[in-house]
Amino acid sequence: MSGYVAYVVRRLAQFGLVLFIGINLAYVITHATPIDPVEQSISAVTSFGNTAPDAIEQMRISLRELYGLGGSPGAQYLVFWKRILRADFGPSLSAFPTPVATLIGRALPWTAGLLAVSTIVAWCLGSLLGGLAGYHRKSRGLKLMGVIAMGLHPIPYYILALVLLIVFGFLWPVLPITGGSAMNLPQTWTFDFVTSVLQHAILPALSLILIGVGSWFLGMRALVSNVVTEDYVVYAELAGVSPSRVLSHYVMRNALPPQLTGLAISLGGIFNGAVITEKVFGYPGVGSLLVDAVYAGDYGLVLGVTTVSILGVSIGVLVIDLLYPLLDPRVRFS
Amino acid sequence: MKTMQADRPDAAQPILAVRDLRAYFRTDRFGVRRDVRAVDGISFTVRRGEIYGLAGESSSGKTTLLKTIAGAVRPPLEVVGGEVDFAFLPGYGGLHRAPAAEVARIRWRHLSYIMQGSMNALNPVRRLRSAFVDFAYPHIGVSRKQFEREVIVHLARLRLDPSVLAAYPHELSGGMRQRATIALATICRPDVILADEPTTALDVVVQKEVLGMISGIRREIGASVLLVTHDLAVHAHLTDRLGIMYAGRLIEEAATAEIFRNPLHPYTRHLISSLPRIGDDVPREGLAGSPPNLADPPPGCRFHPRCPLAMDVCRREVPAMLEIAPAHRVACFAVNRSAEA
Amino acid sequence: MAAILRDLLRYHAEFRIGAGLIAVVLLLSVLASFSPYPPQDVYVVPPDVPPSLTYWFGTTSRGQDVFWQLTFALRNTLLFGCTVALISRLLALVVGLLSGYKGGWIDRALMSVNDTFIVIPLLPILVLFYFVMRDRMSWLLLAMIMACLGWAYDARLIRSVAISLKAREFTQSGLFSGMSTREILVQEHLPYVMPIVFSTTMNNMVWSIGLEVTLAVLGFTDINTPTIGGMIYWANQHTAMVAGVWWWIAFPTIAIIMTFVGLFLLAVSMNDYIDPRSRLHDFGGAS
Repeated sequence: MSGYVAYVVRRLAQFGLVLFIGINLAYVITHATPIDPVEQSISAVTSFGNTAPDAIEQMRISLRELYGLGGSPGAQYLVFWKRILRADFGPSLSAFPTPVATLIGRALPWTAGLLAVSTIVAWCLGSLLGGLAGYHRKSRGLKLMGVIAMGLHPIPYYILALVLLIVFGFLWPVLPITGGSAMNLPQTWTFDFVTSVLQHAILPALSLILIGVGSWFLGMRALVSNVVTEDYVVYAELAGVSPSRVLSHYVMRNALPPQLTGLAISLGGIFNGAVITEKVFGYPGVGSLLVDAVYAGDYGLVLGVTTVSILGVSIGVLVIDLLYPLLDPRVRFS
Repeated sequence: MKTMQADRPDAAQPILAVRDLRAYFRTDRFGVRRDVRAVDGISFTVRRGEIYGLAGESSSGKTTLLKTIAGAVRPPLEVVGGEVDFAFLPGYGGLHRAPAAEVARIRWRHLSYIMQGSMNALNPVRRLRSAFVDFAYPHIGVSRKQFEREVIVHLARLRLDPSVLAAYPHELSGGMRQRATIALATICRPDVILADEPTTALDVVVQKEVLGMISGIRREIGASVLLVTHDLAVHAHLTDRLGIMYAGRLIEEAATAEIFRNPLHPYTRHLISSLPRIGDDVPREGLAGSPPNLADPPPGCRFHPRCPLAMDVCRREVPAMLEIAPAHRVACFAVNRSAEA
Repeated sequence: MAAILRDLLRYHAEFRIGAGLIAVVLLLSVLASFSPYPPQDVYVVPPDVPPSLTYWFGTTSRGQDVFWQLTFALRNTLLFGCTVALISRLLALVVGLLSGYKGGWIDRALMSVNDTFIVIPLLPILVLFYFVMRDRMSWLLLAMIMACLGWAYDARLIRSVAISLKAREFTQSGLFSGMSTREILVQEHLPYVMPIVFSTTMNNMVWSIGLEVTLAVLGFTDINTPTIGGMIYWANQHTAMVAGVWWWIAFPTIAIIMTFVGLFLLAVSMNDYIDPRSRLHDFGGAS
């Protein structure tokens, strides 16, 4: 069991390192560039209308205070970390005076739900089909699926989301194409609300799943076609173990650990799809929040979303890392 | 040990007969089409209750031959011709031609396999118990509890503790893993065991122990063994009869003692003479050249480019396996000629 | 190299399709040099003309010819992908070879940082970067930033090759003949990792171009330099889909899909060729 403890400690250290480097990147970008984010924000806000000069001056002072842009670089750095650790990003400029944390808290469940469901569905479906395709290499249907996956996998999220929007929004309008739930429903746990949420999630989730399935399919197929030549698979076949059992307990079972590692690695890119998909389908998640914050020049909100996404991804990776020994007994002892 | 042969019942009856077997690796990639003739026209029989050995250097086609006999034929390997007849599977000419239900019936019940380098022969992510359940439980027809008891008794024969059942392969030493695979291969008391380099990956002391166990357990369950290894010492220790392979063909076959005493084929002679002997300090001669590329083997006898006795005919024609002395077959024009003279 | 390309072209259907697609894309991007209109100019042709013999791919609501605009966009997009790939290859090579060859604590430290860069979500970071830079965000600056953040995964691949090379004989003989680490890595190891560098180049381009399109569609890049994502951004700004100016979005979309599928197929066939398991060229004996 001591092997497992050492493994967990290593993963926790890696988790800390990801957070540390990620947040430092955010710091460097906001502090080491020649542009002053406070002046950026002010010019973005004031460009929309005529704001009184003394109001601008007041805003400038409070922003400087809020983001710790005064004082020595060392002091700035400490203030920055203090704010991050307290999850205190100040009030949002675009939705003044609602705190950034509240805005993010409101949007986070939408994104977390959408991403968790679509990632898990895509991973399971892609792994299952890809595993079958790697094992039954002569099956026509699975070969065709491979070709489709190859064509689907490199398509940018934006394009696929757009195609879905056109097909289900204009050509065959059966699904809601914008929003997280119907506008007229109160956001409480009623049957109507839940149905509406699910209906609204279909298209965003589908665009994420379609591309995800393609890449997991290809990855698993490649893994499985390597595993089938391993001695233990040949040996099980020689021992007359039934083909379905060989496939499930010998082939797939051994391809799953690296496929799970692949999932952990891919989490860093999870927002690429989310931001676009949420924007295209007007989904009220953190992706939309981030984009709107940039348009509105809301510095605190952009920084907050960036930090939360770094935190979210590192937690996701950590969870997968901690689950990994369940699939692969070898790390428990090494 | 070799003298026991005569007292065995059905000693002359073959349990396995291989006739003119040909199995090639056929590949076609990036326009390069090629046949690697790993098994090229091999015939021999294994009798009930005997240990038949196959020797030859690596890449002489031994493992491919064994896999073909076991029916583990998957692309790029293809059986091009010939037959494999088991006494318990009449009428099909080999596992690769039998219907799936028949193959499933005889696997492990009648025919089992011990794999080369058993490091990787066991599923790395599952406990050893599950291998016994997957491999043997369907054939034994008792309750799970009874089955577990039988497995434990059987493990004890190989001096393995019952606790290994709960272990993962990587937790066992190489010797323990190999003994566990031997236990797996013998628990159903099969008629024929195909063993591929069962001791090669082990260190010498463990090797000796495992060899003793193979021969002991074989005697106990009365199986025939087809044993493949490049290690002639193992053959001397264990096998009743011995076939020598070179470049995908069988070139000599006789009782093991006879081969060691009176090797006839020039290649066999080279193999035997290069064995170290205590007190012998004659320098060993190496054989010039290297084994042929099986994708493009030399015509005629495949040994002729390296053979000290090569004649014209060796370059043109393939020598047949002829019985030169009682129960001693050799495929060599030079040996045949001197035997006729 | 020429022989490998010939073999791949002749016998590998995926490579053929991939090479064909990329050839078309390259041809289009070369045509940019012959454009009758400067790329930045607007209202040089009548706006909103559907595809016709005069304007092959139609014209935009900003009075630009979609065909010529597309050639500029493809050229810039490909240049962007190549720049990111080139710089990140250098970083990946240095980190991968050093980490694999040196081993020990250097390896552990480099790989910890490496794994961190693999999982850090880049899109929010790039958005933050754009937020700070705004109008000073240029094409080249974005390429540099993405190269500095996008080397990690490939460094791991190169490291695994380097580890297998370390045990090989020529490394040892190089070591005994007094070569320095740099000499061993550059003269002995580099040639062996080049194939994997080539195949990761394609994947890296798919990655960086995809990310650029994502950012550009949202307007988070230098939108005045025409790129594929930039074209779609402007089309969205003028609600081209709703206005029925479908050709403004359709042709860039087709072009980018061709680029992606082409690069992806090239990467797949290269991997296929490199993979010792599937390549049976050196299949001498059998045992």
